[in-house]
Amino acid sequence: MSTDPTDPNAPRVGVDEWVASHEQRRTRRTGVLGVVERELERLPRPAFYLGFGIAAALLPAVSSNGYVIDVGLNTLLYMLLALGLNITVGYAGLLDLGYVAFYGFAAYGYAMLASPKFGLHWDTLAVIPLVVIATALLGLLVALPSRRLIGDYLAIVTLFFGELFATVYQNGEHVSLLGQFGAHDVTGGPNGIPNIDQFNVFGARIGALNYTAYYYVALIFFMVLLFAMYLVDRSRTGRAWKSLREDPLAAELMGMPVNRLKLIAFACGAGIAGLAGTIFAAANTAVFASEFDFTSGLLIIVYAMLILGGAGSLGGVIIGALVVNVSLEVLRSPGHATWVFYVLIAGTLVARMRPWRWLAVVVAGTAGFGFAVHAIVAAAWPRGVHGQAPIGGALGTGLRHWVVLPSNPMTIGNVAFICLVLTVLALTLLHGWVQRLAMIPTLYLAAFVWENRLAVEPSVTRLILVGVILIVLMNARPQGLLGTSRVEIV
Amino acid sequence: MNWNLFVTELVAGISHGSVYALIALGYSMVYGILKLLNFAHGDVYMVGSFIGYGILGVFGGATNLSIPVWALLTLMFLGAMLGGGLLGVMIERFAYRRLRNAPRIAPLITALGVSFFLENAAQLVLGAQYQSYNSFSWKSPIAFDHFSLPAGTVISYAEVIIIVGTIVLVVALTLFVQRTQLGKAMRATSFDREAAAMMGIDVDRVIVATFFIGSALAGAAGVFNGIEYQQVWPYMGFTAGLYAFIAAVVGGIGNLPGAVLGGLTIGLAQSFSIGYISSTFSDAVVFAILIAVMIVRPSGLLGRAAVSKV
Amino acid sequence: MVRKFGLIAIAATVVVLAIVSAAAARPAAPAAATASCSSGVSIGMQAPITGPAGSIGSDQLHWASFYFTQWNKTHKLKIHLVQQDTQLDPSKASTTAQALASNGKVMGVIGPAGSDEVQAVAPIFKKAGLAFASGSATRVSLTSGAWKGYFFRDVPNDGVQGPTDAGYMMSKLGVGSGSKVMVVDDQESYSTGLADIVQASLKAKGVNVDRESVSQKATDFSSLIAKVDSATKVVFLPFQVASEAQLFAQQLQAQGKSAVAFGSDGTFDSSKFTVNGSYISFFAPDVTTIPADAAVVKAFHKQYPGATSPFGAPNYVLAQMYANAVTKACKDHKISRAEVRKDVLKVSLPSTILGGPIKLTAVGDVAGAKFHIFKIENGKYVTVA
Repeated sequence: MSTDPTDPNAPRVGVDEWVASHEQRRTRRTGVLGVVERELERLPRPAFYLGFGIAAALLPAVSSNGYVIDVGLNTLLYMLLALGLNITVGYAGLLDLGYVAFYGFAAYGYAMLASPKFGLHWDTLAVIPLVVIATALLGLLVALPSRRLIGDYLAIVTLFFGELFATVYQNGEHVSLLGQFGAHDVTGGPNGIPNIDQFNVFGARIGALNYTAYYYVALIFFMVLLFAMYLVDRSRTGRAWKSLREDPLAAELMGMPVNRLKLIAFACGAGIAGLAGTIFAAANTAVFASEFDFTSGLLIIVYAMLILGGAGSLGGVIIGALVVNVSLEVLRSPGHATWVFYVLIAGTLVARMRPWRWLAVVVAGTAGFGFAVHAIVAAAWPRGVHGQAPIGGALGTGLRHWVVLPSNPMTIGNVAFICLVLTVLALTLLHGWVQRLAMIPTLYLAAFVWENRLAVEPSVTRLILVGVILIVLMNARPQGLLGTSRVEIV
Repeated sequence: MNWNLFVTELVAGISHGSVYALIALGYSMVYGILKLLNFAHGDVYMVGSFIGYGILGVFGGATNLSIPVWALLTLMFLGAMLGGGLLGVMIERFAYRRLRNAPRIAPLITALGVSFFLENAAQLVLGAQYQSYNSFSWKSPIAFDHFSLPAGTVISYAEVIIIVGTIVLVVALTLFVQRTQLGKAMRATSFDREAAAMMGIDVDRVIVATFFIGSALAGAAGVFNGIEYQQVWPYMGFTAGLYAFIAAVVGGIGNLPGAVLGGLTIGLAQSFSIGYISSTFSDAVVFAILIAVMIVRPSGLLGRAAVSKV
Repeated sequence: MVRKFGLIAIAATVVVLAIVSAAAARPAAPAAATASCSSGVSIGMQAPITGPAGSIGSDQLHWASFYFTQWNKTHKLKIHLVQQDTQLDPSKASTTAQALASNGKVMGVIGPAGSDEVQAVAPIFKKAGLAFASGSATRVSLTSGAWKGYFFRDVPNDGVQGPTDAGYMMSKLGVGSGSKVMVVDDQESYSTGLADIVQASLKAKGVNVDRESVSQKATDFSSLIAKVDSATKVVFLPFQVASEAQLFAQQLQAQGKSAVAFGSDGTFDSSKFTVNGSYISFFAPDVTTIPADAAVVKAFHKQYPGATSPFGAPNYVLAQMYANAVTKACKDHKISRAEVRKDVLKVSLPSTILGGPIKLTAVGDVAGAKFHIFKIENGKYVTVA
């Protein structure tokens, strides 16, 4: 049987035939959009990756803003991490909860070999391969005893490993070998290792704080690995991994070396995390163990990126990292967050509310309801409308005449927040016109809570919104944005 | 041998382990039925602890307790268990129910989203400060009322309450699961959800009940933690949840006696490594022991080796 | 594929819009640029507002924001606070520092909170010409001169606190050669740094030191307390969370140990650390008990109900210093980062809510800083040295 992977009619590993072909049964979009869509679909995947690479390479040309470049660099590091995790979790289906430890191990490895800590200042071209290989070997070492573990037991052992790593490095400032040779400071303990060398290649050195240079370094590594992964994806090993993920038992019966495949996946993932770790250490000039433990949330963020984008999809790695990290940064500023909040609500209403007249009813109803409430409160309790709108500008001024802003909104805002959560949950249980009518006060309540409480505490709000986005997106698209939906075959 | 040190570590380990065990039970029950790692479970524990704190505030005021201590404790437990249970049911209904047949990792990420939401919503509403059960003057401050054993070892009443309370709850849970109709339905669903549904068991109802009971136990653990260790803060669920998850897996996930055993193992490993090895590396010691356990017994202390059916 | 491409299109549009708006909304600000004062001045704030250190950071944010809220009620020159959450993570601190540095409206920064974070952001702020000030970073080396003229703090450093505490233990608490002190750090850099200094000072005098450490996430100390023996006179607790010191001291008494608990400035909170007979060191009298501060504290609690932490109020004073500097810089209706940087280091406040005057030394430390030792008697903090 021919298994040419480029043949679109060949059966794909890990995809149910009926599900895979269900797109073809859909009515196609017509008109200009349809043409564009079909043309896009005909492009090979690498064209998209190349397009992303070119767009990303242009970012420093568009903006010289240090913050934007730094966020770009972080996003690329996340993409590298997600790319590595994609091998272990996305392809081989091994739940690795100690993944961030490999990243930290490599960052510390680079820091120890290229900083005043031990007086070593090795050349970058020597350190990076050495550290990446060491990290991959560590991955192998972790995977070796756990290769016979399946599912959640593997997850827990890797989690232990991750925590073990963080604890040891966090406390490694007085290490003595079995009480001998006195106490040695190996990892700097909670103070980490500062003053790490910049990348230098044959004497050419990247200047301190030159995030643009690191941005390009990370971008080049990422693009190279992305194309490499694209090839692996369609190679023998790639297909073997995916079959392993779908059904380990069947894979074993087909004569696949299951254990070896698992080890390779683990080591490859760890190696890529190691590469990202070296770039992180050099760009950041200091490493701290607390950045790599479970509570730092790094692991969660990388998993969220991978799953949100769609595990097993290379494009998903890019989209997932972009969506999660960029929205995390955009939400930092209360002004931006307010726009995001209202645009999201308006967008959802426009996209989901049918027929159109109901949309008109809800929008008009909300506006009218707001002015009515504002007028009643202003008459009955003047202090209820004297508060400060948290953001200025046209939006803020407009809202002041519509939203009730008490002068001391703390307590009432908190109560309203809890009411809002309960009301929104209740809305999902209602149907038909009752739900639409109930939307009017809910929308107003949302605006009230936002202006009085959420916009005032942007740092907390940002994380609340990330939580909500994760819940909503996973419920809407469990397979991730670019993932392939699968059917459990019983 | 220092008898005093040994007994103190033993009691501390058991009482700390009991709190882990109660949280781990909920983890294990949910896992048994849905194969879902409910990472938001630790935050239910946090909410339970805050509910207990709130009830203490209502009856304790800042100066004096208006009702007897036993009545207060009963109210705190009932409140925290009911509140925790309802929260668990809500989480199941609104966040997980649509994902029952999704890829296994999707509900995991949803659970992390719920956890993010609960932690930060708690900070928004309750503030990020550490609150202390003890900042109320209890008329009879049971937390630090204590008695001495003959050898001079000191044991606090709170430790006794935790240990006895945990035993009562675990026995009640075991009876419930073994004897009642709903408990049997739970075991059947856990064994094979589809077959259970075909035999006429209302799986939705069973799942709701599982979440309610598991979360109520976490709520009770929150109050236990409060009366012994006093502190309550929005991020307390994260670490506790992590340790409870570990306890559940070490004992054999999905296995209820295993969850209790796992919780006690971790509590004792922690307190003995602080007492006898090194406080700095106590966590490292615990994790190293656990890795060894998992490698020797890959399906946990009491777990059955998984047999895959083809 | 249909829905997929729709989703990609939406995601890509959102991302592009976000990047463009970020690029457009924040023109890179050259360090020397001047701005007009008429639309108000912005001061940046970096603190661990969320995450495990949220109890410290959110309190810091509240005190600084409280000062500016009060200020804006009575002054024509409006000062806005731009908050950035670091979660006590140095790499997040440096990203958010970039955000503040490239925001042309920001003229000075309060924060970050931790010493590691200060080290991470220092080169960024120096390059951007911004002054930055911490109300809680106490590592000695921060003011060794590398960032002179840019970094300052209104809390005395560990080099003052450590020897003061060790000295008091030896002169008043009967600690001498042959007796024993247990030093327990909480595995954070503030705690280990201070513990190291105290340990070294005690060891130099021949005192036996039993160095222990517990994770800040730990909630149970009874295992550790079982190790306190009868030769141990003092248990030194450089913690960041007052209620952990409280629990430690209570369990110490409950287990019938004769050793007394001795807390550092991080545990200074008269509503949470109240075990009789314990000692505590702090760089100022208790804000919540100074009669002159009663009105301020009451107004603060009205706006932000709940408890406050010891590292909150210093941020109020930092806000006050910036307000003075900004007022001075704005006399000509123009302001620049360089002006603020020069003026803020010269600010001298005759009295502050910290109970004393504040004046900075050339390297940015508090001039004439000293630590007070308090003993807890019937829940009240009584000054003993």
